[in-house]
Amino acid sequence: MIVNTVGFETLVKREIVRTFSIINQVIWPPVIQTLLYVFIFGFGLGSRINTVNGVPYAQFLIPGLIMLQLIDQTYSESSSSVFQGRFMNSIQELLIAPLSAIEIVLGYVVAGVVRAIFIALLITGLGAVLVHAYPTNWSLYVLTIVLVAVLFSSLGIIFGLMAEKFDHIAVLTTFFITPLVFVGGVFTSLQLLPRVLQTVSLGNPMFYMIDVFRHSYIGTGDVSLGLSLAVVTALAAGAFGAALRMVAVGFKLRM
Amino acid sequence: MSAAALRVDALVKRYGDFTAVDGVSFEVQEGEFFGLLGPNGAGKTTTINATVGLAHITSGAISLFGYDVVRDWRLARRQVGLAPQEYNFDRYLNIRDVLIFQAGYYGIRGKAVEKRADLLLERFDLASKSKQVYTKLSGGMKRRLTLARALIHEPRLVILDEPTAGVDVELRLELWSLLRELNTNGTTIILTTHYLEEAEELCDRIAIIQRGKLVALEATQKLIGDGSLQDIFLELTRR
Repeated sequence: MIVNTVGFETLVKREIVRTFSIINQVIWPPVIQTLLYVFIFGFGLGSRINTVNGVPYAQFLIPGLIMLQLIDQTYSESSSSVFQGRFMNSIQELLIAPLSAIEIVLGYVVAGVVRAIFIALLITGLGAVLVHAYPTNWSLYVLTIVLVAVLFSSLGIIFGLMAEKFDHIAVLTTFFITPLVFVGGVFTSLQLLPRVLQTVSLGNPMFYMIDVFRHSYIGTGDVSLGLSLAVVTALAAGAFGAALRMVAVGFKLRM
Repeated sequence: MSAAALRVDALVKRYGDFTAVDGVSFEVQEGEFFGLLGPNGAGKTTTINATVGLAHITSGAISLFGYDVVRDWRLARRQVGLAPQEYNFDRYLNIRDVLIFQAGYYGIRGKAVEKRADLLLERFDLASKSKQVYTKLSGGMKRRLTLARALIHEPRLVILDEPTAGVDVELRLELWSLLRELNTNGTTIILTTHYLEEAEELCDRIAIIQRGKLVALEATQKLIGDGSLQDIFLELTRR
């Protein structure tokens, strides 16, 4: 599958160098935003709520907040890196090299996974210090981060290829990702919603990502772990396949 | 007999209804300094892009040192380095890392690559700027960096797309000297340029493309004869 191992590793390294050269855009905003959410929602409003799904509200909040930041940053970074490469033509460095489509797509995606794990660990540390929220199932914790990062890195590649200007990249974030994540169970349990909204939420893909990640923290969720994992895995596989296909045919890359 | 450095065989490239390259065939022999000339939109860059993998081929075939650029694409791409006209460097890397990362994409890393990067930076008078990003370089330095990047993986063929566009006379002469030295050391060079005196000065053979078709392919001196390359070029491309 990967023949040019050095080339693939170089692309991963390049993406990580890029991340740390714009650390104030990529790493610190999710940490600071999480702090604000914890103080305002966790400590402020949370003090008026007894427990949600059997845990204090502030602890219930942490896995949702990690997913919120992870989804946003993974998509933003991947899409802007690909779009900027097209815009500046620096992506030609990859296209003329002996790198296959799978090596290029995996390069971006693996870098997205590394970035996501780094951000998740930082916020997890915050959650542990501030509200004593810890993952109880580390395997599920890592698996969920990997699947979500694969999904949104792949979507980033897809939209980075389709976009004609930076503004187009924001369409997915503004009109789909942010609203769906906010109503997908970051701040509240499905069980606390009216019945009609519970049914609607089951059609929201973000709900399953947050739910499966919450399983890794509090050992329970709003739907079965198997269902949530299956939905997230299917979405990640679909997005990865679509991104791979677009790069393989040279969509907006090779004339 | 060894395979040609570049063999373009009945190349056709269409964009929808528009035919950018229309049945072009030519060969470049190993060690040659070859000029590919033509007016804007003639099909030069499309031919180059098809050669290095930046454009799909509609029909025909291209091979580099015997490796088909579609079937044996990995091996073919290792043979060639491209110095594009525009500055498309990675803006997040310093210029030494631009070279080292480019070698990485070609599957090469380690101390030998670092040494070669330092050698190229020295040779192209860029060593003092090695820790800077390319946006801090002058136009001439960026031009030299383009050439250094094309050479980092030690290609047998280098394609230069208008390497002296927009540079002053002094730098142009300096680049000519570098290119001659490179060619003398065995690297095959294909040059596209709008400066006809540049092609006349440097190239062993010249091909002229007009509206996607090859209209001339001769040894430089034979093509010019008693006239000038400018006269021949205008005569062929105004038809």
